[in-house]
Amino acid sequence: MNPIRDALASSDVLITVGSGGVGKTTVAAALALRAAMEGQGSLVCTIDPARRLANALGLQALGNAETEISAATFAQSGLAPRAPMRAMMLDMKRTWDELIERRAPPDKREKILNNRFYQSLSSALAGSQEYVAMEKLWELRTQRDYPLIVLDTPPTAHALDFLDAPNRILDFLDNDASKWLLTPALAAGKFGLKLFNLGGSYVAKTIARFTGTETLQQLADFMLNISGMNEGFRERAHQTRALLEAETTSFVLVTGPMPERLDEAIYFHTLLQQSKMRVAAIVVNRIHQAVPDALWEEVARLPPSLQQKYQLTLKENDHLARQDARGVAKLREACGNTPLVLVPRFELDVHDLKGLYEASTWLWGDRRLDVAPPGR
Amino acid sequence: MLRSTSRRVNVTFAVLEELSDKRLLVVTGKGGVGKTTLAAALAVQSAREGLRTLVCEVNTKERVSQLLGKPEVGPEVTALDENLWAVNVRPQEAMREYALMRLKFESIYNAVFENRVVRYFLRFIPSLQELVLLGKILFHLREKRPDGRWRFDRIIIDAPATGHAITFFSVPQVILDTVPAGAMSEDATWMRDLLVDPKTTAVVLVSLPEELPVNETLELYAALKSKVKMTAQLVVLNGFIAERFGPEELPESLSPALREVVETHEARAKMSIISRDRLATLGVPVLTVPRLYLEDFNRAAIELIVQRLGAPR
Repeated sequence: MNPIRDALASSDVLITVGSGGVGKTTVAAALALRAAMEGQGSLVCTIDPARRLANALGLQALGNAETEISAATFAQSGLAPRAPMRAMMLDMKRTWDELIERRAPPDKREKILNNRFYQSLSSALAGSQEYVAMEKLWELRTQRDYPLIVLDTPPTAHALDFLDAPNRILDFLDNDASKWLLTPALAAGKFGLKLFNLGGSYVAKTIARFTGTETLQQLADFMLNISGMNEGFRERAHQTRALLEAETTSFVLVTGPMPERLDEAIYFHTLLQQSKMRVAAIVVNRIHQAVPDALWEEVARLPPSLQQKYQLTLKENDHLARQDARGVAKLREACGNTPLVLVPRFELDVHDLKGLYEASTWLWGDRRLDVAPPGR
Repeated sequence: MLRSTSRRVNVTFAVLEELSDKRLLVVTGKGGVGKTTLAAALAVQSAREGLRTLVCEVNTKERVSQLLGKPEVGPEVTALDENLWAVNVRPQEAMREYALMRLKFESIYNAVFENRVVRYFLRFIPSLQELVLLGKILFHLREKRPDGRWRFDRIIIDAPATGHAITFFSVPQVILDTVPAGAMSEDATWMRDLLVDPKTTAVVLVSLPEELPVNETLELYAALKSKVKMTAQLVVLNGFIAERFGPEELPESLSPALREVVETHEARAKMSIISRDRLATLGVPVLTVPRLYLEDFNRAAIELIVQRLGAPR
């Protein structure tokens, strides 16, 4: 059996992770498509798909709308799915705003939405993208009824951002220091008491030399307005964490075979395993295929005037194939217990459902790529 | 649209002349397109021209030192070669340096900045971490030797990839929009002014001859211009594949498999040209660097790219 097919049979959430530029979104979309073809209704939630892929999925704009891919679109690619497939693009800012609108006490909403700290939290704080992706996943899982959700995660510069996101937000709202600052004041019904006291202190004066006193006051306002939401955030962060660790959630790590990507992938794999996430497979994308011996022989029989160019071309291909084979071997050694799924390099970016289906045949194990061990 | 080969060579040299009076070179692009390699090559070339050059990586797994065959440098500015220094700026050390610069006394730093509550605050001052990272780099740009000459004639930043780059270089402006007047906003002001000054700063965008990286380069160019007011002055197209086979070089007798190999090569070459032409629509010079087939990206690769950049010697 194929590890991805196995994982899908027992999962209702599949999360693709990895660094940018390795075809993560394509893998996510191909798997959602394939699931639908096989009769498992699916939703693929992407972050920032390339325009042509977005068009292929019928997504014209951001906006959190789940769009069903029409039978006509499938028919154009000669495909007939046995269950519906939906796709959506995650709008970070809107997801944050919805979160506040849903959860904040009514009298605090406007204040929070207009606070400068909120604005930078929702758009700039490292990990906040990852957090809303998790938040959206939770909402989709609990409030909709899709047999399969495939979540494409933001390309992470730092793998930790993603696994850490729920904790980090909790940390932001639920830190010892913030309790120390706010709790007694809240209990006394006098907001910001300690912070106000702090304002006169040596420590606060020193900080104010960097930030200006007004900043501290604004931060205090923000903390206070949002503190009513702490309980909800905490509960949700625990639930999200549980969802990530659930038996029915699988991760697929996507990488390329080139050396600079491998170290990241290996690191990420270790991290996922340490965090008790189930990594169903590592997809190694864009592998250059080995040059068959028959081609070298054929080139040797070409007219001498042509041989040099043909040989050079084969040599280059052979070089790339061997480099990739070394990468695959390295990955296999470093991530021993996780199966690898190898996908060859396609000459064109996938830009329609047909291309996605084609990609899925490698992911699904209909076709297998053999990579000879290096060192030939 | 297509430039002749000879003119392209001329452009190559003109490009470097254009960059030659810039003190700050910012190298950015999509992840995996060869930013670090190019930053290292630009640094080597710059040092050879006799400019005291500092190459900065930003809070990342360090690669420049390794590419140049040197031991890791870490968060301290370290000499790598004649006229060439490197550093990997990291937030904790940069924060400390920044605070010490402002506070003058280490005891105050320890009392205040090592305080748990304060650390908590500092984490949530929007973008403070990025500000100190960028601040440290730009501080070195203003640093002078005792005789009044620059400590570094040129600084090259191996900047974060696309989305992170926009965030990173927007930080001074974000601070100015968020944080009321104070030391931080003063620093943000001069930092922003340096970044957007085309006489001082040049952005170099790195791309690959594939559809998505090119799309991203075009979008990055526009976003840098509109959101950060920084204008790219050079695009480097790595991994360029030149056409190789004429129609007469495809005998009828070729097997389908070998024909496919040739067609694939030519398709990549065609994609290289399409990519170059699309990038050329930005109106900035496009420098192509051929695809290199090397066992390892090391000093030898850097030297090849330095040659391509038209360095003396």
